[in-house]
Amino acid sequence: MASKPTFSDEIANLLHASHGNPIKICMQCGTCAGTCPSAPFMDHTPRRLIAMINANMKEEVLASNTYWYCASCYHCTVRCPCEIDIAGLMYALKRYSMWKGQFKEGLIGPVFSETFVKTIFRSGRSYEPILATTYLFTFGLQDFITEAQTATTMMLKGRLPLLPPRIKRLKNFRRMIGRVIPVGGLE
Amino acid sequence: MNQQKKLLIIDDDPDFVEGIKSILDAANYSVDVAYNPKDGLNALQTMNYDMLLLDIMMGRGAEGIMIARKMRKDAKLRELPVLIITGIREQMAFLFPGEPVHPRFVEVDELVEKPVEPQFLLDKVSALLQAAEARKGKAG
Repeated sequence: MASKPTFSDEIANLLHASHGNPIKICMQCGTCAGTCPSAPFMDHTPRRLIAMINANMKEEVLASNTYWYCASCYHCTVRCPCEIDIAGLMYALKRYSMWKGQFKEGLIGPVFSETFVKTIFRSGRSYEPILATTYLFTFGLQDFITEAQTATTMMLKGRLPLLPPRIKRLKNFRRMIGRVIPVGGLE
Repeated sequence: MNQQKKLLIIDDDPDFVEGIKSILDAANYSVDVAYNPKDGLNALQTMNYDMLLLDIMMGRGAEGIMIARKMRKDAKLRELPVLIITGIREQMAFLFPGEPVHPRFVEVDELVEKPVEPQFLLDKVSALLQAAEARKGKAG
């Protein structure tokens, strides 16, 4: 039916249900890169990453931190004159790299995502103190103390629960998830 | 085999598809491939196949499951044997700490996990095709 897809085709397949235009039509205007608040921290700007995908530079794209540093503010998607869903592309690349187990070492993003999903699975709610452990220890001492102080103040004001919250009817929720993902050990 | 059987693979991993397609081609099956769920569903609705080999994790997430459920609601596609071949345990290992992928999470004929042994794959495919023929024979 179809010949073997290239890397850019694979990414296009991941975005088959996206409302945005295909990334092949990117005209490299750089609006996304100029707009992105995380761009200074990225290995490659979103504009360059799109060009790299279109050039099928799979290894270089997967080894970059660009898509893990995307803050999902959607500013690029809103401003793109070609109407490409760039934030959606960043999510697609996160999925792709996690499914393939190929991403840059030492990133917080993959562990953070994993911990987040696990927490939701267990209790139906996210719990910040557990999520914070995925990135807190990468901070310097000064930032660590500031973060701990903020958390203590929030806890005293009742904005941060001491014990992990649980939703009601957790069993139903887990059964519902089981219908979407074939999780191991579910009844 | 009196007539060449037509199979469809819906899987977004080109390398894996290349592998199983070559195994099935060598066993004299006619194999079509769709690399995303949308093309796959289109192909299923427009052409006639004897069997479907389906991946789970595609596109936005577990879209293979959506295809399997849509097929169960379609009177024509309901009879088509479906073999799910999934690498979900490797892709989302943290959800399966040493446990099996739940075998009956969606109503399909068989579920196997990647990587698949060539002979095991061929055995499963021929067994499912035979079972489908037997069902057809009974109905007819």
